Amino acid sequence: MATAAAVVAREIPSPEQASLWSDAWRRLRRNRMALISTIYLVLLVLVALLAIFYTPYRMSAVGIAPTYSGPSQAHLLGADGVGRDVLSRLMIGAQISLIVGVGTQLLVVVVGVTVGLLAGYYRGWLDSVVTFIINVFYGIPDLLVALILVFLLGPSLTNIIIAIVVTRWMDMARMVRGQTLSMREREFIEAARASGAKPVKILFGHILPNALGPIIVQATFGVPAAILFEAFLSFLGVGIQPPTPSWGSMAADGIAALRIAPHIVLAPSIALSITLMAFNFLGDGLRDALDPRSRR
Amino acid sequence: MPAPILQVRDLRTQFLTDGGVVTAVDGVSFDLFPGESLGIVGESGSGKSVTALSLLRLVPDPGRVVGGKVLFRNQDLLQLSDDEIRQIRGRDIAMIFQDPQSSLNPVLTTGFQIAEAMQAHGKAKAEANARTVELLKRVRIPAAESRVKDFPHQLSGGMRQRAMIAMGLANAPSILIADEPTTALDVTVQAQILELLGDLNRELGAAIVMITHNMGVVAGLCSRVIVMYAGHIVEEGPVEEIFERPQHPYTWSLLRSIPRVDALRHERLRSIEGIAPDLLRPPSGCRFHPRCPFRIERCFTDEPTLEEVATNQRAACWVTMERARREMHADDLLDIRPGAGSGVHPGEQI
Repeated sequence: MATAAAVVAREIPSPEQASLWSDAWRRLRRNRMALISTIYLVLLVLVALLAIFYTPYRMSAVGIAPTYSGPSQAHLLGADGVGRDVLSRLMIGAQISLIVGVGTQLLVVVVGVTVGLLAGYYRGWLDSVVTFIINVFYGIPDLLVALILVFLLGPSLTNIIIAIVVTRWMDMARMVRGQTLSMREREFIEAARASGAKPVKILFGHILPNALGPIIVQATFGVPAAILFEAFLSFLGVGIQPPTPSWGSMAADGIAALRIAPHIVLAPSIALSITLMAFNFLGDGLRDALDPRSRR
Repeated sequence: MPAPILQVRDLRTQFLTDGGVVTAVDGVSFDLFPGESLGIVGESGSGKSVTALSLLRLVPDPGRVVGGKVLFRNQDLLQLSDDEIRQIRGRDIAMIFQDPQSSLNPVLTTGFQIAEAMQAHGKAKAEANARTVELLKRVRIPAAESRVKDFPHQLSGGMRQRAMIAMGLANAPSILIADEPTTALDVTVQAQILELLGDLNRELGAAIVMITHNMGVVAGLCSRVIVMYAGHIVEEGPVEEIFERPQHPYTWSLLRSIPRVDALRHERLRSIEGIAPDLLRPPSGCRFHPRCPFRIERCFTDEPTLEEVATNQRAACWVTMERARREMHADDLLDIRPGAGSGVHPGEQI
């Protein structure tokens, strides 16, 4: 029961009544690590975009520098074992990583949200089937599934994204299902049903907007996991195929010469590590910013 | 008397719990007439809210309507397909819930939600938006044009309930079911909301079903009242008759337990002895007999049915207060006559 005092307090209009999203943005900015990560990721995206039009050298041009040569003025990150410019390849690698990371998560959101909403809202046999499938997918080692899929479909960028989605959609589906289960008992959902809203409208118009915060956080954490998985596949040689560079395959190329030319391994590894950290810090920041319970 | 707009016949709703089957609504029958305001009163667990939810097939799991008919415009709402009942909801029969705080979606603007209620029934977006402002004015929300864009947390409790009422009225329904619409509000706001509902009832001619545990609300708003106890209707009739001459001992006890402004200082507030029955194991015979001061032997074994006790007034009791007064000197026993209408203060609760 609202007390009289509470009602009066709410009635005083506050001039800077912030919406959910501007509120979250304000809180995200206050988180130093999340802010630094955001700036880094924006720069990374710009570099990846720049690489579409411009790289210092052609990424597949062989022998433009002495093989295994270290960083120099002409080649800032040196050259690899066949004399290709590492910086140029790193830039293209950033493209690949971002496409894989963001692309898989977009698909994961589409699949996970749809499956989770339907299972959580309709429950019954549908929920049982979905939960069972999720558990089966958790039970199979994801590397095995990804390897089999890539072998079956062929190692293209699209197929790698599909393979990662197939192994990584369950967390999202399970989380959305849980959100939906708790949300469907809320009174505003009952009120929406009482006003004759169609089930599709209730699912995507009422439940989804309320679950958007956790979905964004989950997807943000999913990006580095997908990037790492792609790098891992490429490192094993079943990922992105040469001559297109990926941070994983670049590291694999350099591993044999680690003693004499460590920069070939270090450059993609450091780029990968920083990117993964940035996404994780951003996810952490978003979780704090979007969680109404941590409202400060 | 005009033909009823809604006829409920032998409605039965059960909940399958771990402990067994709870029959929350057990053979409820009543008529609702066009434009009238009908109160359904009873304490918590009497089945009044479940009755309301059953009408629109909105009973939450694990509840299920297991029998009876709900006749609206010559069709049984309980037999319609999911999509057919969806089209009735909100368009012909609208519902307002108890807590406006939680019955508005926190992440959508109030105006958007009201407009959406109209779009769900085929109104074009622009038309719906225009009517939204009109509706907010109609429920007397000040500065309606700017309030449309407000989120629920930016409105006061009273305004939120007004917005809910606006949403309920959006499609000009012929029946408005209000499930304890004032319980979550404080007393001054309660009175305003009741006044608004009364005005809308008169102006728009929509029949109102008011679910409440508050006799004051019934006295202020309704013309007819149904009293429920443990899933049964125990008494129904015009409000004045029920307040003046309640025939079921439960109704009589309810009215007697309302605090009265004109009561003598030394008088203690009376409550009904005992507790509401466990519906997993309902009492035999009349369900009120364990708490009834006037029970006779028959009450333990036979279940009474609703019988006409006066014009338009029916009660399910073997004794009835008429006889209790005559033979058991009920009034002498309890010195005051139950609330004579005017003495009941709105906002006081049972």
